[in-house]
Amino acid sequence: MANVHKDFHGCFSFGLRFLTANYGPEETEAYLRRTARNVYAPLIEALRMRGLPALQDHWNNIMTLEGADFDLHFENDDTLVLTIHKCPAISHMREFKYDVCEGFCESTRIVNEEICALAGYVTETEYDQAAGRCVQRFRKGGAE
Amino acid sequence: MISCTEFIMAYSELFAFIEERHGRAELDRFWEELADEFLQNLRDLVAAKGLEGMHEYWTHTLTEEGADQTMTLTDGEFRLEMHHCPSTAILRRNKHIKPYKDYCDHCKVLYRRIIDPFGFKCEVTVHDAEHGRCTLRVVPCPANLEEK
Repeated sequence: MANVHKDFHGCFSFGLRFLTANYGPEETEAYLRRTARNVYAPLIEALRMRGLPALQDHWNNIMTLEGADFDLHFENDDTLVLTIHKCPAISHMREFKYDVCEGFCESTRIVNEEICALAGYVTETEYDQAAGRCVQRFRKGGAE
Repeated sequence: MISCTEFIMAYSELFAFIEERHGRAELDRFWEELADEFLQNLRDLVAAKGLEGMHEYWTHTLTEEGADQTMTLTDGEFRLEMHHCPSTAILRRNKHIKPYKDYCDHCKVLYRRIIDPFGFKCEVTVHDAEHGRCTLRVVPCPANLEEK
């Protein structure tokens, strides 16, 4: 069982806010794409090799560890859909009064996009940051 | 969402990103702002309970992080001996990541900046950065006390 220290979500949000406030949103995006490439290199490789079940395992592990209220299922056999009814990161930050930066949910979209693009997949993320909810879709497509 | 279990790797990437693109002085400024604006829970505990508040703060955070450490608290000293830092263990275990070269420096900047103005002297001595061994020692130092 991994150790879970949820204050890290607040620290990550602070980092995003610092980047955007000081260097602009383009630098924040550059940081997130670099992080996606480097931190998630094993996931990118697994997605290439095993396809969507690799991503399904990843999200299932992460969301279970974080205690998220979520649903994960395949739609039309070719699209993995992750629905987060109550985001564990946003919930924790609000409960402990950490600032949730403006682009917090957008960071998920950017990281997902970079991981998928490098593995030959496409993704869409629809989010409502105020409500702490999102729907993420993943399917094969795009150039590897 | 980047999970809190993956955060340390993203944090190391952030340090490297800021230093490579904006310089070390900017990274120090980031850590200072993080101390000033984010770690309010540590600041509140130090303000209210002094050395005991530090013991309370690190007992909570290091238990959640699963650290191998020893803490001692006396009237005149708080000492945290980190035997295996959980953050550096994550960076070492994930071999696909190139850890930021001065990762341990952030602890030195953050904790001194928060603790010293309350009339203490905080020293962080890194014995072995790769294996995550360090000592954080805090003793009273009235000369450092700043008006709040």
